[in-house]
Parts: sequence; structure tokens; C-alpha cells
Amino acid sequence: MTSLWRRHRWWLTPTLLILPGAVLFAVVILASSVQSLWISLHDWDGFGPMVWIGLGNYRELMDDPQFYVSLKNNVIWLVMFMLAPPIGLAIALLVNQKIKGMRLVKSMFFIPLVLASVAVGVVFTWVYTPEFGLLALIFRAFGANAPALLSDEHFVTFAIVVAALWSQIAFCMVLYLAGLNNLSEELIGAGRVDGARGWNMLRHIVLPQLTQVTFIAIAVTVVGALRSFDMISVMTRGGPFGSSSVLAYQMFEQSIFSYRFGYGAAIASVLFVIMAVFITWYLTRIIRAEERGA
Amino acid sequence: MTFNRIERSLSRRTFLKGTAAVSAALSGFPIPAIAQSSEVTIISAESNANTAEVLRRIAADFQKAAGTKVVVNNMDHEADKTAIRNYLVAGAPDVCFWFSGNRMRAFVTRGLFDDISDVFEKEKYADVLGATAGSVTVDGKQYGLPTGGTLWGMFYRKDVFDEHGLTAPASWEEFLAFGEKCKSANLTPVAMGTKDLWPAAGWFDQMNLRINGLDKHFALMNGEMAYTDETLKPVFDHWEELIKQGFFTPDHTSFGWQEAGAFLAQKRAGMMNLGAFVRAAFPQQDLPQLTFAPFPVIDDGLGRYEEFSLNSVHIPANAKNKSGAREFLTHFYKPENLAAYLEPGGNVPPRNDLPASKDPLVNAAVESLKAVAGTSQFYDRDTDPDMAQAGLVGFQEFMARPERRDAILQRLEGTRRRIFKL
Repeated sequence: MTSLWRRHRWWLTPTLLILPGAVLFAVVILASSVQSLWISLHDWDGFGPMVWIGLGNYRELMDDPQFYVSLKNNVIWLVMFMLAPPIGLAIALLVNQKIKGMRLVKSMFFIPLVLASVAVGVVFTWVYTPEFGLLALIFRAFGANAPALLSDEHFVTFAIVVAALWSQIAFCMVLYLAGLNNLSEELIGAGRVDGARGWNMLRHIVLPQLTQVTFIAIAVTVVGALRSFDMISVMTRGGPFGSSSVLAYQMFEQSIFSYRFGYGAAIASVLFVIMAVFITWYLTRIIRAEERGA
Repeated sequence: MTFNRIERSLSRRTFLKGTAAVSAALSGFPIPAIAQSSEVTIISAESNANTAEVLRRIAADFQKAAGTKVVVNNMDHEADKTAIRNYLVAGAPDVCFWFSGNRMRAFVTRGLFDDISDVFEKEKYADVLGATAGSVTVDGKQYGLPTGGTLWGMFYRKDVFDEHGLTAPASWEEFLAFGEKCKSANLTPVAMGTKDLWPAAGWFDQMNLRINGLDKHFALMNGEMAYTDETLKPVFDHWEELIKQGFFTPDHTSFGWQEAGAFLAQKRAGMMNLGAFVRAAFPQQDLPQLTFAPFPVIDDGLGRYEEFSLNSVHIPANAKNKSGAREFLTHFYKPENLAAYLEPGGNVPPRNDLPASKDPLVNAAVESLKAVAGTSQFYDRDTDPDMAQAGLVGFQEFMARPERRDAILQRLEGTRRRIFKL
């Protein structure tokens, strides 16, 4: 028995360690992804029999103007969310100074991270409400009329992204604060001896040490932008007339409100492909970085 | 060595603790499991706090009389519309509240509501319900009980009308004149909030009933008429006229009906097309000022058709305690209980043996209904749910961007062809 174990443990140990994760991944991620793909090839209302229609859902999707609106909004989310890492870094550098009262400032920036995103959405909806919202009151103080941001098909997505950015920036700030605490004192000291200060210090000594953090911040931000759903659901329900919808919300709307699970699954599959492209790029970069490190 | 021993004794202690917890849990489990079979769970979605309170009281009375534990879970009204699709399939309550007509039918055809014809038979509900029994009947079987109806109309404040010398418009010309008068008095002629989409569809229903009548309206609802049909043109022409003249609340897509109702309550709007539940937006002391008039007549040659939506109560097919649920429904449906339940919301009773309400609005609605030639329920209750979703968005878009009419109607027509498989 022991000899058997001894002879095989070189492969048994890692297998046993990986097994729980692999099983969970297979059941929760792989199986349900495959099932989604399978459903997307059917006309199905979620209760009754599934009718095979091949690529019919995808063909319809290509002609659906709402699909392109959602896709465009996903791009807006993605691009605007990219502001979160640099702004988060800037705030982290600011609150990392040893100045009296900085702890208070730090916790103020930290607050949105504690709030549920649904709560953030509700609060921002009130801020944007025409006539009696905070924004309207501010505009009125200057004698102007605030635009009804959530009623304007061109501004609505930007207005929602601003609300979502608030907590995303806080998240990036926390990541960078952790990174700043792990800076090598020796490198900074050496840089100082060589006369580096201000911008040069940041650019050539601090930032290179934050590469890993930056990488995580960008990855989390991209995924956060692509799966944006809760804020839209709370603030506009995709409206006015679908102009603030994104793929994730359109998928929900089609499946739940219109009883079109096949069509919803097709949207999910497209979203999956978009995410897969990013994740592949992300993984190859990580692997390459690890190879270089090793 | 010592380290090991400490660890072992610790683990034994945690093990003992664990066993104690597990045995406690095991001995504790069967008790709620037994209780569950004689328990009736109810999911309601009352936005009116007083109605929810009455429902809880009725449930408590039933609990006392029948010795069955009743749990009432009151959900947010809009959230319930989404959640019901989940809970009917996984984790159904024993009793749930929903909407009769086509919306009920969607769940009946999917086998999610229990056939309660036996209760109908036993309690002889057909005799007291009359025509309203049709709204819960599919293929001769009953799948629910109508709870209360909402008669849609143009609601307004008497004091605002007196103050500005306004009268409820009876014809299209009077309606246009009414709008002009409102605007010169700095009032929005019609309060409108389309954030939840459906108020715009209600307006479409009213116009279509007044211009094309009930039969053509139902042809459209049943997918038999095209959205690009010529008969719909005057409906959108009239509607566009109102939009262009600034009849509706600006930026209406930012407001829910509650906020739009507040404009009416705050004397900032002339009228509002809604049911009596608009009272939820009114402070108690202002309620006596609230009254309504039918939507103005557009085509004199047509009978008076109105929107009358009936809510209903059902037993899910997956309910655990169906006999308990039936007992509760019978108790809930006693005239005195139903009357108490309908009182706070001002809903119109479906039973004809209830005493006259203390609420003048309800009695006015009951009177008004007697003169009605036929009723529809509501756009998203009368047509296919998939079609309804597309239509609701389309009407909201039309109200905000009337110039896109053709594109919107083309899109709806495409949706209709897909859904009704043409």
C-alpha cells in the first residue's frame, strides 16, 4: 500500500489537489457553457419543448438593430472603464502620502466599494432625476436647466458608466494602494541616490514595480465592463427604448421578459466569444510573463 | 510532540462540538418539515401598504380558524413580475397573486397554474362572478379567482379643475382645447411617466379603442392585424398631434408612474390616464379631490369600450399544500374578506354580491362599467408577452421620437410576423 502510494504519488498528489477545482470548473463553467451553446441553436420558451432551428437565432441577431446598439454600448463601457486604472493609480498615489488626516480621505475614497452596486445605481438615478434631482438643483443654482440624462438616448450610457466608474475607481485604488505598500525600499533608495525624483521616480522606478498590479486592475476592469448589468437594470432597464442596453442586459430581457431562451442564449454565446478573445490574450501574456520570470 | 497532542485534543473537541451541532440540526429538521405540510405560503405584490395589511389580517384570521400556519411574503410589485417566472418553476408558494386574461393563460398553457374548477363548482362562484369569470377561464376550466378590477380613465383633481375653470373633455376638440387651457395655466395637460414602459401602451389602447373599436383592437392583440395596417394610421396621427403640442410630461422616460402621479397630486398636471391606484401618489387629505372621467370620444359611431384589467389569485401547479391553499382561497373570497381587501386600493369588485363601497370612486367605476359596451384588459395583458415587450418599447420610443413612427411600426410588424409565425 505504502509502496504503491510512494510509487505513484508524483502524479497522484497534484491530481488530487487539482480535482476539486477541475470538477467545479467542469460542472459550473464548462457544462453550462456547452448547454448554453446547445440552447442557442433552438427556439425555446424556457418551459416547453425545444425546437431545433440551427443558426436561426444567430441569423436573426445579425439583423437585429438592438444587438448593434447593445454592442456599441458594450464598447462605450469598455473604453470608459479604462479610465478606472489610471485614475485609481492617481488617487492611490495621492492618499499614500503621509499627511495628517489622510486616513479619513482614504476611507472616503474607499466608501463606494462598500456600497452594493444596486444602491449606487439608485442613488445616481436620484441625482440624475430631472426637476428635483441633485444635478437639476446644481444646474438651477447657476440658472440653467439640467439635461435629463437618463432620458437622452445619446447620453444615457455615459451617465450610467459614470455611476459605475465611481466604485470601479475605488477598486483600482485599493489594488494600487496594496501594490504601493510592497514597493522595494532598496530600489527607491538607490533611485534617490541616482537623483531620480518626481516624474522620473514614478515613471522608471515605481511604475515598473506595479506592472503586475496594473495587469490585474486592467483585467478586472475589462471583465467588469463586459458583464455590466445590475446598474443598467436598476437605473434605466435598458431604456429609453433600449438605447442603454448592453449584451448582458439584452440577454436577460429576451430570456426573462420575452420568454426567448434560445435567442438569449445566442446573445450569451456572442458575449462569451468576446470575453474569450480577451481572456486568451490575457492568459498568453501571463504565461509569457511567467516564463520570462522563470 | 506536544504540538501534536494539543492539535489532537483540539480536533477532538471540535469534533464533539460538530457532532452536537449536527445532531441538534438533525433533531431540529423534522419539526419544520412536518409543519410545512400544514402551512400555507402566499406571495403577494401589494404596493399599497394598507392592502398588504388587510391581507395579513385575513391570513391571521384564517390561521386562527383553521389552525393552519399562513406565511405572507409581500414583494415589490415590479420585481414580482420577474420573480414569478422563477418561483412558479422552482420553489412555488401555495398561493400567488397575478393577472387574469392572457397573462394568466401564458402560465396555464405551460402547466404552471393549478386547475381550480372544483372550488368554482363547490362554492358556486360562477353565479356571483358573471362575466368576470371568463377572465380566469381557459378551455372551460378555471385557473384562478378574479380579485379586483381596475377601470382605466382620465384622473384629475376637482380643486385644480375648479381653480382654472377646466371641465373634463368629452370629445377630441374639447380635449385639444383643454390642453391649450392647461398650458396657459402652466399645467402639463397630461402627466405621463414611461420609465416602466406600460403607461405609453395604455395610452395607445385608449386611442385605438376610441378610433378603431374593440374588435379591431383585439385583432391586433391576437396578431391577426398588421402593425403597418392603414387603420392604425389615424391612431398615431392623433397621438402625434398631442405629442407635438406638448401634452405630455417632458422627459417622461425618466419618470415612473408614481412620480408622474405625484405631478398630478402636486397640482402641476391636468389629468392622468391610469387606474384608481393613482391614489397611492396622493396624500390622504387630498384623496377626496381625486376623481375621473372616461377617455374623450373620438369617433361618435363607436360604442364605449374601456380598459378594465382584472387581477387574480392562483394556486401554482407546484404548490406543496394545495388543499390548504384551496381552503385559504375560499376564506379569502368570502364577500366580507374580499370587500375589506379591495377597500384600500379602490379596486372594483368582481363579485356582484358585495355591499356598495364606502369609496365614491369605486361606486363611480361600478356605475361607469354598466354603460360600457365591451372591455379590453391592457396591452401587455391582452397580447403575447413577447409581442408585448416589443410593443411597450416601441410605444415609449414613439412618444419620445414621434418622427421614427414608420421605423418603429416596421419593427413591430417584423416582431409580429415572427411571433405569430406568419
